[in-house]
Amino acid sequence: MKIALTICLMLPAIVPCLHAQEDSLQTTRYVVHATTFGAGRANIFETYLSPLEYTGQSIRIMHERIKMTRLMDGHVSAQNIFQINASHTKNPAKSATTYAGLLNWSYTLHYQWQLNNKLKILFGPMLELNGGVVYNERNSNNPAQAKAYGGFGASGMLIYKFNIRNCPFILRYQANLPLLNLMFSPEYGESYYEIFTLKNKGNHVLFTSLHNAPSLRQMLTLDFPIRKSIIRIGYVCDIQQAKVNNLKSHAYSHDFMIGFVKNFYLLKGKRKISIPITNSPF
Amino acid sequence: MKKLIRILCFFASVILGFGQSSCIREDISGNSPEDNFEALWKIIDEQYCFLEYKNEEYGLDWDEVHERYSQRITPSMTSKELFEVLSDMLNELRDGHVNLSSAYEISQYRAWFDSYPRNFSDSIQSNYLKKDYINSSGLTYQILENNIGYIYCSSFSNGIGDGNLDQTLKNLETCDGLIIDVRNNGGGNLTTAQKLASRFTNEKVLVGYISHKTGPGHDEFSSPHPIYLEPSEGVRWQKKVTVLTNRRAFSATNDFVNSMKQLPSVTIVGDKTGGGSGLPFSSEIPNGWSVRFSASPMFDPDMNQIESGIDPDEKVDMTSEDIERGKDTIIETACNILKN
Repeated sequence: MKIALTICLMLPAIVPCLHAQEDSLQTTRYVVHATTFGAGRANIFETYLSPLEYTGQSIRIMHERIKMTRLMDGHVSAQNIFQINASHTKNPAKSATTYAGLLNWSYTLHYQWQLNNKLKILFGPMLELNGGVVYNERNSNNPAQAKAYGGFGASGMLIYKFNIRNCPFILRYQANLPLLNLMFSPEYGESYYEIFTLKNKGNHVLFTSLHNAPSLRQMLTLDFPIRKSIIRIGYVCDIQQAKVNNLKSHAYSHDFMIGFVKNFYLLKGKRKISIPITNSPF
Repeated sequence: MKKLIRILCFFASVILGFGQSSCIREDISGNSPEDNFEALWKIIDEQYCFLEYKNEEYGLDWDEVHERYSQRITPSMTSKELFEVLSDMLNELRDGHVNLSSAYEISQYRAWFDSYPRNFSDSIQSNYLKKDYINSSGLTYQILENNIGYIYCSSFSNGIGDGNLDQTLKNLETCDGLIIDVRNNGGGNLTTAQKLASRFTNEKVLVGYISHKTGPGHDEFSSPHPIYLEPSEGVRWQKKVTVLTNRRAFSATNDFVNSMKQLPSVTIVGDKTGGGSGLPFSSEIPNGWSVRFSASPMFDPDMNQIESGIDPDEKVDMTSEDIERGKDTIIETACNILKN
């Protein structure tokens, strides 16, 4: 309690100090945490379950953490994103329902290229893992399709900082493109009874890239302060596609997000203090 | 700001180009009678697993079926008329696992049992079960007057508990032999059927193979995967067994009979089973009707198809004389086999 009180008392003194210093050792202690919640529309297509596209509602929860690293003279930031997307969709005749859920974790290292004091371009490699399920409530021995894939990709980001009436805004666009992945899939007409009960070892783990799984996650966010909080509004366009083992699938979702951003300065150990929007790895 | 807009435009053009050139989407469009007909025909053409086998068996030509039935499709036909034509088309497959389901009707090919003797009467069966029979986890059993144990299994749709099976077999352990009656059992879960069969072997036995389609071509199949029956760790029956069958023994029951047929102490008695060896998958057409069809063929240990049914070791039909006397010819034959 004493420590927390001391930090609170010291905060007004520390923040201007941070603002002034921008050497690499200091910037590695800047961290952005953002948690956003969103809803939108989804379009689900799994030929293992149905030849038709299902459309309906989508929800998404995303937690993002960005921190500067000491790599390349402190020009590289590390981004962790963990997100959950779930959808409830109907076939065109509204006679059947599909539920889909996907967990995604990505870790990206971005080289930050500062074009001017307002605009940054970031690009770098990405590692990501995905796991989930698509479930059709009226199918017999093919009621669900498991989704499990992950690998390496490329990520790019644009960050634009501007002020309106002395109020700081951060506009960010990001695109993540998977390039070299491994994906699980049953074979064309293979049941999960064969895979799990009979332990059939078929062609279940496949290499995927742009030629058979052209996928892309994009997000556009705007951060701005309201009183002492930093609000984030955003839009996520998630395009996941695959064509493996003669099975085609896609999951498109467009979600509008809202949430909070917290900028921290890490002290010794796990202690951290909040800092304003003007000091962040952004 | 101009620089930002230029960069955003560049990214937007890359993404739009990506989206337009790389979309993985459905091939189906429209919801007219013709669209639904074509969608259904294509699902069967690409995913049904017995087109080649049935071409050899009775000359089924799926392209010819398309030509013949497409002439019955008109733009102005009603939904019910479309259902009738599509049902007739699916019945060309002669498969009890193929159904078209709409809000008002489910199509079904019934000739696989309607064209054969019933060979089962529950009122005659009650003469054997009497009134003090026991029901346990979906199994109905009784010790017959000649000290033969009799178990009737009407479905494999619900699980059978290991403890229930242990207790049932213990209660019947003093019997001279055991009858497992699966007549009129339309199937259910393969794992339940295998669980029951595993009580009648002391060693791992090859009981058949399963395959599945690997692509849309009629001949694109995986290598057959062996299926073994593993002995149960619970109570196992060590005396002679007869399995009673008729044409309504279908699907998972067909699989059960196939497994039991591979065991040396088991005799299959009755009529040929109804078949249904294809593991069914589901799909749907644009108007929302769902279709069920056979997707993975199963074979016996000699790689023979069992889709059309399994012949009994002892072919017996219920005679009209026995029916009049309230006797079940098939049960009586089974008792004679077990007593000798």
